[in-house]
Amino acid sequence: MSQSQSQSSSSPVSPAATNVRPSLLTSYASPTGTFDEARLPNGTLREPWNKLIRQLDQLGTNELIDRWATAERLVHENGIAYSAFGTPSEAARPWQLDPLPLLIREAEWQNVAAGLQQRAALLEALLADLFGPQTLLTNGVLPPDFVHLHPGFRLPYHRHKATSQNYLQCYAADLARATDGSWWVLGDRTEAPSGLGFALENRVVLSAMLPNIFRESHVQRLAPFFISLREALRSLAPKRKENPRIVMLSQGPGNRNYFEDAYLSRYLGYTLAEGADLSVRSNQVMLKTLGGLLPVEVLLRRPNSEDCDPLELNGFSQLGATGLLQAVRSRTVAVANAFGSGLAESPIVMAFLPRLCQALFGEDLKIPGVATWWCGEASSLTHVLANLGKLVIKPAFRQRGGERQLVKELQELPLEQLAERIKANPRHYVGQERITRSSIPRWDNGNVQTAFVALRAFAVYANGAHHVLPGGLARTFGSSESLELSLASGEGSKDTWILADKPVEHVTLLSPHKHALQLRRGGMDLPSRVADNVFWLGRLVERAEASARLLRTVVTRLTSETGSSTLVEMPLLIRALVDNGQIEPGFAVEGIKQQLPSFERSLPAMVQDASHPGSLRSILDEVFRVASKVRDRISIDSWRIMVRIDEAFRPPDQHCDLADLLTMINELLIDLAAFSGMVMESMTRTEVFRFLDLGRRLERAVQTVQLVNSCFVDSGKIPGELLEAILEIGDSLMTYRARYHADLQLAPVLDLLLTDDTNPRSLAFQLEAIEQHVISLPRYECQVGYSSEQRLAMTMLHTVRMADMEAISELYHLGNQEQLERILIDLDTKLPVLSNAISHRYLIHIGPSRQMNDIELHIE
Amino acid sequence: MKYRITHITKYSYSDPAPVCHNQVHLAPRALPGQTCDEFRLLVTPTPSHRGNRADYFGNRIDYFAIDEPHVGLTVTAQSLLSVTSPPTAPMDDSTPWETVAHSLKRPMSPETLAAAQFVFPSHHIPYDKLLSDYALTSFSAGAPVVAACQDLTRRIHTDFRYDPKATNVNTPVHDVMLRRAGVCQDFAHLQIAMLRTLGLAARYVSGYLRTMPPPGKPRLIGADASHAWLSVFCGPQGWVDFDPTNNVIPSSDHITLAWGRDYADVCPIQGVFVGGGSHSMTISVDVNPLGET
Repeated sequence: MSQSQSQSSSSPVSPAATNVRPSLLTSYASPTGTFDEARLPNGTLREPWNKLIRQLDQLGTNELIDRWATAERLVHENGIAYSAFGTPSEAARPWQLDPLPLLIREAEWQNVAAGLQQRAALLEALLADLFGPQTLLTNGVLPPDFVHLHPGFRLPYHRHKATSQNYLQCYAADLARATDGSWWVLGDRTEAPSGLGFALENRVVLSAMLPNIFRESHVQRLAPFFISLREALRSLAPKRKENPRIVMLSQGPGNRNYFEDAYLSRYLGYTLAEGADLSVRSNQVMLKTLGGLLPVEVLLRRPNSEDCDPLELNGFSQLGATGLLQAVRSRTVAVANAFGSGLAESPIVMAFLPRLCQALFGEDLKIPGVATWWCGEASSLTHVLANLGKLVIKPAFRQRGGERQLVKELQELPLEQLAERIKANPRHYVGQERITRSSIPRWDNGNVQTAFVALRAFAVYANGAHHVLPGGLARTFGSSESLELSLASGEGSKDTWILADKPVEHVTLLSPHKHALQLRRGGMDLPSRVADNVFWLGRLVERAEASARLLRTVVTRLTSETGSSTLVEMPLLIRALVDNGQIEPGFAVEGIKQQLPSFERSLPAMVQDASHPGSLRSILDEVFRVASKVRDRISIDSWRIMVRIDEAFRPPDQHCDLADLLTMINELLIDLAAFSGMVMESMTRTEVFRFLDLGRRLERAVQTVQLVNSCFVDSGKIPGELLEAILEIGDSLMTYRARYHADLQLAPVLDLLLTDDTNPRSLAFQLEAIEQHVISLPRYECQVGYSSEQRLAMTMLHTVRMADMEAISELYHLGNQEQLERILIDLDTKLPVLSNAISHRYLIHIGPSRQMNDIELHIE
Repeated sequence: MKYRITHITKYSYSDPAPVCHNQVHLAPRALPGQTCDEFRLLVTPTPSHRGNRADYFGNRIDYFAIDEPHVGLTVTAQSLLSVTSPPTAPMDDSTPWETVAHSLKRPMSPETLAAAQFVFPSHHIPYDKLLSDYALTSFSAGAPVVAACQDLTRRIHTDFRYDPKATNVNTPVHDVMLRRAGVCQDFAHLQIAMLRTLGLAARYVSGYLRTMPPPGKPRLIGADASHAWLSVFCGPQGWVDFDPTNNVIPSSDHITLAWGRDYADVCPIQGVFVGGGSHSMTISVDVNPLGET
């Protein structure tokens, strides 16, 4: 915040200034025929906008552009781009954030919130009746089609007894403003509403970008809502357990909601799990962790209901846990939202909602829904067919995920065909009025454009009431088409500010609990799947570093003024590159000197060749892929470094020469060091750290053995230049010089690389660390003596400790390499065995579940 | 008639399966003409957890889970029950079928409302125009519903060949119609589908047939295994069963286990397991008449 801004914002605005039209919106043209969020019909700014634009004008466009650049960077690095494996090159944040919020005054919002509370309660009552006594059907309020044609009405959801659990812990509604400025509900989300994570993220980014304006505007805080959410979930726990294990059941990194899941679970402090992490044992849902199976009391569910139990529902789904429904019936676990709650989000519900509200509550809807006609009723069918061009035709029963495509398909049909389609199956369609959404200024890199806005609002059921989030996820569109259709016109998103008249209280999620938590150490909750990924992340990061170091040594020599062809160590270094899998084996043959020019030319491309499995580029791709799977387990700063690494190690342009490559490698090594430092300094010493470090140590040991093997075995006379290069790769040159000055000899080099346990780069150091980790891994209590992992680690450490490097070097100079070779081969064989042993004990999962009915069963 | 029924299902796996979860519809329903005196469900290896509940239609579901590695699973259901012949439904003076269909369109009574859900398409039984054309031959205008249903049962029995090789559990009704062949499950699905296209309510019944026929009577098809037939809502006559596989109106030779919209709702054994390698299954059913009650 600049000095001038903070001063001027507190100084009274001069009368002259009020007549000056704020500059930010000069180019903004509010369209005719819509309600404009910012301007009154006479062209003057609405009150809250007037203040906001003034404040932004005082900042100045340039300052705003600068700050926005920083904010965008934050958005980007936080990994809001949540595509399948978080590959930023396919950056896909579906909703580009813009810095102009949607402004709603508190008084107005209170009416909206009351309407949403009523609606949530109504849908709750609807679900409780349809999955219970079905009096709405017996009384004829709803036709039988309403449930029996509904693919979301699955028999196992039915409750024979009334239970205390509500259906809708979370509820969301899409809202829009009609031309008269009143709010309308466009649709309801009851299955597992998404968008809350984005709303939160938008708020975090925007309040950091405009801290003063945010504070002075008295924007209502989001934190109390999340406290209610936590309370809602906590209170679901069976037997009202005080500190229940709450797990967010995600659809996994392949799903478009994964970023949100990871973001929210971290914010709320819940374990993020996937179906494969859960198992139902003795009717109790368990989380599979390194420490064994741990009971789960509450699941915050993201997959569709029907995908959550292959025994009773969709038998092909791996997203849930077999036996989950029975566990819920037995009340050993609670699931939010309750199974079947998605039934209420079908468009057919909107056609009946006004009637339902009268039948159940004896009142009118406080906030109207978009007029909807269900074609299963004769009069509605007539109306829809007569007004086909003016309505949006939708499937009456919503299949979460597939609706957009279907609506689009229907929209593109010629009207006659559409009419035929409806007449053939009228009960499967509704017609909906088109709503012109309100227009709003959208910031686009210094320019302001016109967009149309819809607001996703959220409510949570806690302590006997529906609490509405004071805010929401505002989505902006280039056109005013219906939500399903306007995606193609480009979506953006905005923070939503509910403006109070007086300053608001500051609340954080860290507010003290009624009951003190029992102090805990360690991380028994770590799912085995996560440990597996973390272990591989450790290995891959280390592999990337080793590869980069070797590569740098080679590239430095190729670009040196001596000229690479005269360098005696070059053939062996290239052999090391080949052994390392970084380049094709073709270069390792005799006569490397003739090939050097072509080698130099093609090296940058080989390094960047993502299709070659050993290339540095493909190692980094793997690093990033694995890191994005455990994004919720590494700190945000560490993740930022990961994003940086992935982005920075790319050729600046088509033509990447050795000098560019060297710069990139140097930067990469600094980033990798930053990541390691972050891990060492910020990561709690739990099982996550242990597996990450175990992976690193194992990989470093493997790489060191391989390097020594490539350079010293079958290599004839060892030139001093090679020793120097190897020390450089092993990051031990400085230590060597401090001890032995410029005199390069084999024995001290081998000692430093292999047996010196004070050198964190030496093999002995890795093996000691590995032994320590292996000893500390969780063990079965009944196990007697050493585990196979422990024995392997101890044997290797012993081999290295007992090796006499002076004697080995002496023999080596006499032409006898056998002893060195034997040790290296021994280690080279045992290290992978150790890695497998760890995987088998801790990391390998049992396979996917199968249906018994796949076994041919024939009834005669 | 009193019966002792033993239904054994054996699974064996080539590799150990560490976990399995199952739910079964193997307990006979209590009905006006059918009383279950005893029901036992034996599972080996011993489940770590088991229980039972009523499903949506009031059928009993037994569920169990095994948590330890096992290479085989044996489920034995034993029941002791008595069945009396239901009163014969009046054939020719039953309600015209259109009247029944109409009452289901706008169900006014609890009975018609409960029946109405069986008019809708279900997992194995989608709407199919091809089927209504075939059915209409039996359903002339004003035809009494029971007589018309029985005529349709007879025609399916005549026109369709019983052939276990022609279909499997997942063969769509449409294909059964084209192939003119199938097993009891297919015929039940087929006739249900036809009746639903006419706006009638029909449900799938899973059960057994007595193994040894009474002296002098032919042995019915479908003994020694699970059997399936259907039940139709006939207005004031209530629900009447029809067995298209044997062209009979079931009486005391048929033992009802459970009913639902189709096979998917009342599958005798459902299970999900992990691992297990390749696997095989055998079933045996013994329906032993103990004499008249």
